[in-house]
Amino acid sequence: MEETPSAAPKRELALVSHATYVKEKALRYLFFACAFLAVVTVILIFAFTTYSAFPVFTDIGLANFFSLTWAPSEGEYGIVSLLAGSGLVTVGALVMGVPLGVGTAVYLVEIASDRVRKIISPAVDLLAGIPSIIYGFFGMVIIRPFVAQISDGLGFGALTAWFVLAIMIVPTITTLTMDALNSIPMGIREASYAMGATKWQTIYKVVLPAAKLGIVDAIVLGMGRAIGETMAVLMVVGNAPVIPSSIASPISTLTSQIALDMSYSSGLHRSALFGMGVVLFIISATLVGIVRLISKKRR
Amino acid sequence: MADQSTQTDELTSRERIKRALSHGKAGRISKDTSNKVMLGVFRAAAYITTLVLVAIIAYVVINGLPHISPDFIFGWPEGVNAEGGIWPTIVSTIYVTALAMLICTPIAVLAAVYLAEYAKQGRLVNIIRYAADALASVPSIVMGLFGYALFVEAMGLGLSMLSAAMSLALLMLPIVMRTTEEAIRAVPRYIRWGAYGLGATKWQVVSKIVLPSAFGRIATGIVLAIGRAIGETAVVLYTMGQAINMPITPLDSGRPMTVHLYLLANDGINMNAAYGTALLLMIIILAFNLFSRYLSRRSR
Amino acid sequence: MRPSCCPGSYAVSRRSFLACVAAGLMLPLTGCQTSSSSSKQITVAGSTTCLPIAESAAEGYQDETGISVLVSGLGSSAGIEAVANGTADIASSSRQVNADEQKLGLTEIVIAHDGIAVIVNTDNPVQNLSTDQLRDIYAGKITNWSQVGGDDLTIQLVNRDEASGTREAFKSIVMDGAFFDRRAAVLSGTGQVRDVVSRSVGAIGYISLGFVESKFAETAVRAISVNHVEPSEKTIASGGYPISRDLYFYVKGTPTPEAQAYIDYVTSDKMDSIVRDAGFIPVTDDESAGE
Repeated sequence: MEETPSAAPKRELALVSHATYVKEKALRYLFFACAFLAVVTVILIFAFTTYSAFPVFTDIGLANFFSLTWAPSEGEYGIVSLLAGSGLVTVGALVMGVPLGVGTAVYLVEIASDRVRKIISPAVDLLAGIPSIIYGFFGMVIIRPFVAQISDGLGFGALTAWFVLAIMIVPTITTLTMDALNSIPMGIREASYAMGATKWQTIYKVVLPAAKLGIVDAIVLGMGRAIGETMAVLMVVGNAPVIPSSIASPISTLTSQIALDMSYSSGLHRSALFGMGVVLFIISATLVGIVRLISKKRR
Repeated sequence: MADQSTQTDELTSRERIKRALSHGKAGRISKDTSNKVMLGVFRAAAYITTLVLVAIIAYVVINGLPHISPDFIFGWPEGVNAEGGIWPTIVSTIYVTALAMLICTPIAVLAAVYLAEYAKQGRLVNIIRYAADALASVPSIVMGLFGYALFVEAMGLGLSMLSAAMSLALLMLPIVMRTTEEAIRAVPRYIRWGAYGLGATKWQVVSKIVLPSAFGRIATGIVLAIGRAIGETAVVLYTMGQAINMPITPLDSGRPMTVHLYLLANDGINMNAAYGTALLLMIIILAFNLFSRYLSRRSR
Repeated sequence: MRPSCCPGSYAVSRRSFLACVAAGLMLPLTGCQTSSSSSKQITVAGSTTCLPIAESAAEGYQDETGISVLVSGLGSSAGIEAVANGTADIASSSRQVNADEQKLGLTEIVIAHDGIAVIVNTDNPVQNLSTDQLRDIYAGKITNWSQVGGDDLTIQLVNRDEASGTREAFKSIVMDGAFFDRRAAVLSGTGQVRDVVSRSVGAIGYISLGFVESKFAETAVRAISVNHVEPSEKTIASGGYPISRDLYFYVKGTPTPEAQAYIDYVTSDKMDSIVRDAGFIPVTDDESAGE
């Protein structure tokens, strides 16, 4: 594809001196190099993390790596319980966060008066800007004791993480869903009203189906955010690398285990952490791929 | 709902409405009741979201405000329980963010110029966009691992401002790239045609016409990315170190505010300092976000 | 026993950082060692647990005498090795020298006592646990308080993270080779353990005795006695309380006058409040504690 664009500007640039032509050409390559840096970085991240995780394949073995028990001090490097923990907190966060996020977006776009919208939608934007460490802090000092009280446990576990992560992904989902709803032509709604539909019928039968792909897009991105979240989760899950007996007993996730263990791990233990990084990278890259497929379909 | 709606995709909107409404037979509940109930549900969702936001901000403000004083902002942490101030952590945060911005902005802006002005849509551009999206969604702890393995260990930069700034720059890159590209695309075509008509070269058009007129929106994106970088914890935790230190050279180690807050909260002893740090951190980030909104409104 | 991630330690305090900083640190240390005795600089290397004490003492000592003290936390073993081969003047250690290291002929100075209190919720009636019971509880064999004479309540284990020196000490003194129950909540801070235990009736945790009473905390926890010995400064200094240990300095041969002065400073009563702030028990009132 590099052939076609270079042919066109050549004709255009024939009017200028050779020096200018060379300069333009050089700049063009510089810009391309900058853009291509994104690709290089992604490859580098994958390659380097995989390289650091290499002992997972050679010394730990994939069978051990994908087993249930995570006990580095006993030579067990199984990440399945951590993977399950990541899955558990993500699914719960989506169950709590998606209705809230989509509901908020629908309210803001379809129902709210201009005045309310002007107050709430920047507020949601700001909510998206609050750093995860503050959500984690809030979860630790407010939500955890609350969960401890209602569950008779320590308050660490999936339930607490659900609350915290749901709060965190709501702004993401809301903002993206609002974009999707806003992109639906007004005419569809007007036609629906003209046929005597109520607002709810219009939303449910017309607007939401039309915005479906955009909403799925939002949910997948929210999911990516929930799986990849580290600090907030680290502070509320209790970091016990086991399959939990209840949603209010301590668990651990891939991200939180990496953050917790990085500080002192060495040798195989450290390689296993990098291996978990590779797993996370693959998950997030897959989610991005899904989002791109969806948006291609939308167009 | 899934299979029904895949069908509806092929229908025109009018057919879809007709079809949809024909299902709206008089049910057990009148449509007005269900309308009222469901609108209430949506309103409740929006109010819950807003309430949570207000609750978090209010909680941090109420608990943090009494501990913020000039001594707290400009003092050094003292003793084993970090009483006193948090000045070195504020400096570390500003230092690393500024450095990250310096590294990221030129690359991101030039990359966006390529994507918006030079590149023809094709496989290569698709790959670049996919990579940018993937980069944007790399979990921050993975970015931290990568930064640790590459910058800290392999490149021998150690736990330093530079290692942390480069890792953060990778995080900011896709954000600035995307907003800059949108900003460039938002510059009207006819301005460019005018310049080309006067015999300007492509670079002259880009540097003299396009970038200046897109400047406001580009700045918005940069400010937004700065807000994100300031609040980042997992990336800097293992690239900058945790030593309380006033960074002078880029190879100095330090402890940013987020990590300080994390350690204070984890330690759970001097919670007052934790609340104060959380509030300051939130104020700084909200200020950047509001500034970015202001910029974007002005440039519109 | 100070958590290794305490915000006040002015140096990188997690072990792996130390490991990677170690190489960088040791080189210049070796280089300047020959001249350091003349330029009156003291180097202290070793345990991260001792870091808060050594650092604070270094500041105070430097203010008083103008002699600078370089303190680095590399881990006890690395510190002892550094003193043995002459790279450092003083090694700080959270354990006594082992049989191999004894051959190095180092002089031992106790700088502080450290006792780990087992804490429970104030509503928990259990007053005493034996070390065997504690081990079974933390290994997950005893799971209900009624098995150790308490109410019929599930035991909620609170453990420390593996980077913690408290966990290391607890493991070596109490666990006796048994593995920790992995279902336990793993927290990375003393105050957090304290806070969590104070809010959950069935919880059990362990922290340095110095943090059981905290001027920062709003809630209370209760330290139980172990093997029928109550944890107190007295029982810990005397060695009667089982979950206790001493923190040491090691020097090779006769220390330089400067190093000796620094050691005297660390063990002097000027350091009492700092040592207590760090959660340890100073050695100054050992005599009165009745040895």
